[in-house]
Amino acid sequence: MKLLQKRGSRCIPILLLLLFTAGIIFIIFYCRKPRSMVLEFGMFTGSNWNVANANSFVIIDNAIARFEAEHPGVKVHYYSGVPKEEYSEWLSRKILAGEEPDVFMVLGSDFDQFSSIGIMKNLDELIETDETFDKEKYFSSALSTGKYGDEQYALPYETVPTLMFVNQTLLTKEGIQMPESDWDWEDMYNICRQVTRDLDGDGILDQFGICNYDWLDAVYSNGGEIFQTNGKTCYLAEDTVIDAVKYTRQLNELYQGQKVVRENFNEGNVAFMPLTFAEYRTYKTYPYKIKRYANFKWDCITMPAGKDGDNVSQVDTLLMGISANTRKEELAWEFLKLLTYDEEIQTQIFSHSQGASVLRAVTQSAEMEAIVQAEMEEGDTVISGKLLGKVIEEGYTAPQFKKYEQALALTNSEIGEILENDTNIESNMKILQRTINSYLQQ
Amino acid sequence: MKEKKEYYTGMFQWTLLFLNCMAVVFICTFIYVTTNRIRAHYDARNFLGNVMTIPDNPRMNLWFCLILLGMLVINFIFRHFLQSEHSRGAAFSLLAELLICVVIIYRLDFNYNGLLLLVFANVIAYIKDSKAKMGFLLFAIGGYLLADYELLSIYMPLFNMMDYVRYYTFTSQQWLSCIWNSMISLNIILFVGYCFSVINIQRGTIAEVNELYHDLQNANEQLSEYADMAEKMAQTNERNRIAREIHDTLGHRLTGIIAGLDACLALVDVAPQEVKKQLGVLADVSREGIKEVRRSVSELRPDAVERLSLNASIRKMVTDMGKVADTQIYFDAGGEKLEFGEDESNIIYRVIQESITNAIRHGHAGQIWVTLKRINGEILLEVKDDGIGCKEVQSGFGTRHMKERIEMLGGTIAFDGQKGFKVTAHIPIRWGKTDD
Repeated sequence: MKLLQKRGSRCIPILLLLLFTAGIIFIIFYCRKPRSMVLEFGMFTGSNWNVANANSFVIIDNAIARFEAEHPGVKVHYYSGVPKEEYSEWLSRKILAGEEPDVFMVLGSDFDQFSSIGIMKNLDELIETDETFDKEKYFSSALSTGKYGDEQYALPYETVPTLMFVNQTLLTKEGIQMPESDWDWEDMYNICRQVTRDLDGDGILDQFGICNYDWLDAVYSNGGEIFQTNGKTCYLAEDTVIDAVKYTRQLNELYQGQKVVRENFNEGNVAFMPLTFAEYRTYKTYPYKIKRYANFKWDCITMPAGKDGDNVSQVDTLLMGISANTRKEELAWEFLKLLTYDEEIQTQIFSHSQGASVLRAVTQSAEMEAIVQAEMEEGDTVISGKLLGKVIEEGYTAPQFKKYEQALALTNSEIGEILENDTNIESNMKILQRTINSYLQQ
Repeated sequence: MKEKKEYYTGMFQWTLLFLNCMAVVFICTFIYVTTNRIRAHYDARNFLGNVMTIPDNPRMNLWFCLILLGMLVINFIFRHFLQSEHSRGAAFSLLAELLICVVIIYRLDFNYNGLLLLVFANVIAYIKDSKAKMGFLLFAIGGYLLADYELLSIYMPLFNMMDYVRYYTFTSQQWLSCIWNSMISLNIILFVGYCFSVINIQRGTIAEVNELYHDLQNANEQLSEYADMAEKMAQTNERNRIAREIHDTLGHRLTGIIAGLDACLALVDVAPQEVKKQLGVLADVSREGIKEVRRSVSELRPDAVERLSLNASIRKMVTDMGKVADTQIYFDAGGEKLEFGEDESNIIYRVIQESITNAIRHGHAGQIWVTLKRINGEILLEVKDDGIGCKEVQSGFGTRHMKERIEMLGGTIAFDGQKGFKVTAHIPIRWGKTDD
């Protein structure tokens, strides 16, 4: 030290000052450094609705082509070949390294988690300041799926309501009228009781009323809620929920302990089965139409309404969001808007994907009906845009909170147990409510 | 000794800096390495499910913090070159240091706030102004308490280093926690040690000041003894001079006169004419003697009285002594102009001088009032002070001397030590000039 002081006591402070300034300049430069004009987009291949989908890139490719044309000098890059099952891990690894894409698809099971840890950009400010953007154009149920707490963290891209498949051939054979779209639990129970029979007289039931109808379907159509929206308490001991569980058990009891599986429906021996709109579209069209459900005529209607509810079913939505760390906020917002808000791109969902558009105007348009009709055989009734719109608009969307997935899985397995065993539903639901509440409040 | 202590304080500062840099590098590297490990094991989604939040970009964070640490070290060295005389430069440097530390702490999502201790340590060392130091310290301590991870994580999403630690096996977790906690503890221990050393240095300075003060007091006392001795020596010298003077003048003359008178006795019967002549000579010699006596006396008189009027002399003395002793002395000479004989002037002057000296030396007075005026055909001389006084007035050399002097003028003098000390003298007026 002393030696240094003697030799250059004037030079060294200046040198240090220079180094110090260099450090500051570097930091400022680092903070403001404009990255290359490449917008990264994260997506998975295949359908979000677990149906075969060969055209998953078509809409995105079209959108990118348009975006690049509208924004000269900007390139959109997406990672291809990440299947849906691996997408969550793939995105998480990117996020962990701070290399997440600017705009990306979010799986429903990831959205609450990603929003809670601050990876997703809060879009409220962008929505507020963008005068060309009117969030009323979205189905409110679809839009609310992108909300975490009261804040919008993602926009819906594609939505799929759950519908009730009806085996028309079976009903006709049993002399039963196709139910109206405002049918209720009792109607369905009566039909189920009527059709549940032992056809060949071997003492084993081989024709059934319904399969894959679970207590959650019943809760949604009975106007019930399972969790508070902030995820602090559950409502398992509410009458709407208890009635739904009771109704589910009532239906199960018709089969005298026999398990009814999807194969039974595929063989044409089940009158009803809840399926998604995506499945409806997939199996109504070539080539899947001949692979399944070829031996009977079928159609879909709304879910039956519970005594306290409406003809409502769960609506699943594929969300897209912007990274909270993006340096190209404006471009990312423009691209996100193009994918989720542009009517032309959204119309393509009907021609290249199996879901429905999240925009009211698109889903309820005649154009949509024409596209869907074109894929079907003559004589098949096409679900009307109005009905589809109603189902989506009124659809039940799961609340978004961090523990939702785990809490639902826990509840589901416990209620499965209650349904299996011949126990008192009311008291068991009260016990379960306490258990789940303590988990939620941990 | 002091330099050695300062060397230790410097060592403390460097060690603190080193330890803090290590801690920051440890967190950044640990998070970067763990992130890579999680990614390599395809555990990312699972990991994200168990955290509050994550850092933006661990690799960039590592670089960012390394650069900031570099700046911190440069700033630290820079300040060492400045030394303490550049207080503005040091303040700027400390502010820069605080800023860098705050940015690092913020980048680390408050997982490590020990850097603030480093800032406090340097502030304690560099800021000399105690008020500014206290202000800064309060601010910094407040900051340290507020920048606590546990507190802040209630209000905002912060990544938790422990989430990354929990990714490892239990044994590794224990090791990592052990390393991390010892770093934090060591930092605090070093900080406390540092504070102790600073306090020690300050305490050393106080002891030094006390010692110097003690020396000064001793010197003062010695000086005052010397002054007393010098006064006594002056007195002795003066007495010797008077003796010499008497011997040289009066003695000489008287011897001559005696010899002359003896001669006259022998001659008186033989030659009366001669005797007459001789007596004339003797009378002349006696007159000469008187002149010499007068000259001597006038030489012995204080200079001030010789040159100035009594009032002016007293005023001069009062001013001089007031200056020398740091005492307020008020002199009230009444309205009219008083005239005194030389002996009166001398005695009054001496009495006032003696009283003031006593008031200052024995009474430790802060204020002294001197009054000299005519009341009912008498001169009233009063010297009183606000000093400690004394219960019983002991008859010392000073008071006895004053009494003798005043009695020479046919006056009276009284002493009162109840409230401060008061000397009151009444002297009868003897208007006109005193002759021989």
